[in-house]
Amino acid sequence: MSARTRDILIALGLAAALALVPLVVGTRYIITQMTLFFIWAMVVTQWNLVLGVAGIFSLAQMALFAVGAYATAMLGYYFAIPILVAMPLAGLVTVFVSALIGLACLRLRGPYVALLTLAIAQVIYLVVVNDTDCFTNPPSGCLPLFGGVRGFSRFGDIGFRGLLGSKWYVAHYYVGLALAVLAFVFSIAIIRGPLGLAFQALRDNPGYAMSRGVSKFKYQLWVFSLSAFFTGLAGSFYAAQFGVVGPIVFSIAMLLFLLSMIVVGGLGTIWGPLLGAAVLMLADEAMREFGDWRDIGLGLILAAFVILLPRGLAGLATIRKR
Amino acid sequence: MDVLVQILSSGLTLGAMYAISTIGLALVYGSLNMLNMSHGALLALGGYVCLYAMTSLGLPAVAGVAVAMVACGIAGLLIYYLAARPMLASRNFETQIFIATIGIGAVLENIILRTFGPQPVAQPLNLTGAVVVGGVHIPHQNILILAVSVLMMIVVALLLNRTRTGRAIRATAQNRDAAQLMGIRIGRVYAQVLAISGALAAVSGVMISSLSGLLPNMGGDPMLKAFVICVVAGLGNVYGAAGVAIALGLLEAIIQYVFGVQYSFAILLLIVIAVLIWRPAGLFGRAQVVRL
Repeated sequence: MSARTRDILIALGLAAALALVPLVVGTRYIITQMTLFFIWAMVVTQWNLVLGVAGIFSLAQMALFAVGAYATAMLGYYFAIPILVAMPLAGLVTVFVSALIGLACLRLRGPYVALLTLAIAQVIYLVVVNDTDCFTNPPSGCLPLFGGVRGFSRFGDIGFRGLLGSKWYVAHYYVGLALAVLAFVFSIAIIRGPLGLAFQALRDNPGYAMSRGVSKFKYQLWVFSLSAFFTGLAGSFYAAQFGVVGPIVFSIAMLLFLLSMIVVGGLGTIWGPLLGAAVLMLADEAMREFGDWRDIGLGLILAAFVILLPRGLAGLATIRKR
Repeated sequence: MDVLVQILSSGLTLGAMYAISTIGLALVYGSLNMLNMSHGALLALGGYVCLYAMTSLGLPAVAGVAVAMVACGIAGLLIYYLAARPMLASRNFETQIFIATIGIGAVLENIILRTFGPQPVAQPLNLTGAVVVGGVHIPHQNILILAVSVLMMIVVALLLNRTRTGRAIRATAQNRDAAQLMGIRIGRVYAQVLAISGALAAVSGVMISSLSGLLPNMGGDPMLKAFVICVVAGLGNVYGAAGVAIALGLLEAIIQYVFGVQYSFAILLLIVIAVLIWRPAGLFGRAQVVRL
């Protein structure tokens, strides 16, 4: 059994186990938190592909997530497109935006990429927030083209609220689970597939790899664009889950939270980001009592892990194995 | 004519403010290959320490700035000893220190938020009055900012060119290994560079906050602009960074005049991306020959 089949089988087994959770747990809070976990899992597995596997220092991942969320909200709000149709469309829009960003940034060296993607993310944020010209005038008041500071609401939902009444969140749990499994299997396929091998070769012996025709730019652009589909889809599902999309998805705190998941779990590993997402969401839950100290705690966790344990929790496990 | 004076005055003020925070970043990147993402928090720290020294301790303005410089210099040293030094030997130093300083920046910013509260405060260091040139009022504050920035740039240039410390810094930036073989203690150079960068951040933070007021997250935007300037100039190029800072300040003033304030940063960035596609290593950056 190849490593790829093994990893995918483990992932499917885990998914089957998670599918049983709503049958056992009745608490709504836990189910919705786990749905949120699926959304973050989608984002961090793709970010890990970009940052840990392809070595692209992208800080635009949350902006891509926002593009997915906003595309869904705007398609639903302006064109009354059903959310289930809008979601894959939003994913494609995100791929397009991501390919553009990639074409502009990926020829540059590492730190330049980080700064430029951060700046692009900031520009998207500023364009959304600073636009104060009314595009439409619904009864609730002036609404700029991109929603402005207020953002979008009432753009429709997947339809489970009408179908299942108060139990709609259970259906969303399964949608989230399915999407997260798709995204995760995609990440395994990349890491254990030809693209993963190409990046492995570029890391191990760049000279030999390049002389054999492995083009870093081309493969980076592929990973950056393809993974954006799932990042956008995650944003799209986020919009459907919460029914509101606003500029908060651009916040530094959110970026910090998700980046910490990858770093704590283990950059570049298959299971690390998932592990990190679970650990940080639990830690966040524990820190909720301390409220205001949450961001300080997150910052400390991020810095401490990079400095003391750069390979994350997954790295710790491989050291033990040896 | 009046428009020209107006644009020149606000453009040069903006550029001068950007220049001092950019020089610090460029110095640190040039010698350590470290992108300091906590720089924005250092700007805020400098502004707030100056406020504290002037209002709560009742110190005069010059002393307030000096105290802020010392405090941020110490913060820079702490960042070096606690975060950068343990990782220096690591293969992914650039990536790791980048992520670590994002975390440190968040911690610092939130500590400021806890201590001073989220409401905006005015910086007490503020000159009133204005000079009238033609039909344009140029506030004394803008002139002060310009003067302080030029002074800081001269000090840094003298430090780099005329002192042993400066020579050691330049040597380390040129070739770390060779510098070390010549007996330069590069650990000490790194520590000095981060302290200097912190002190410059303090001055910059005081100047910025004297115009826009103090907020715990006030450093984010100037830091991003400083990074953009570094990138355009070529990372690590100190003199290029100062020149590009002034140029971009003027350009921003023109864009603000023509297109309005709300899109200035977006347009500025499009120009920057165009420059980078044309010259991937920045305007003054040497295209690096990668040896395999």
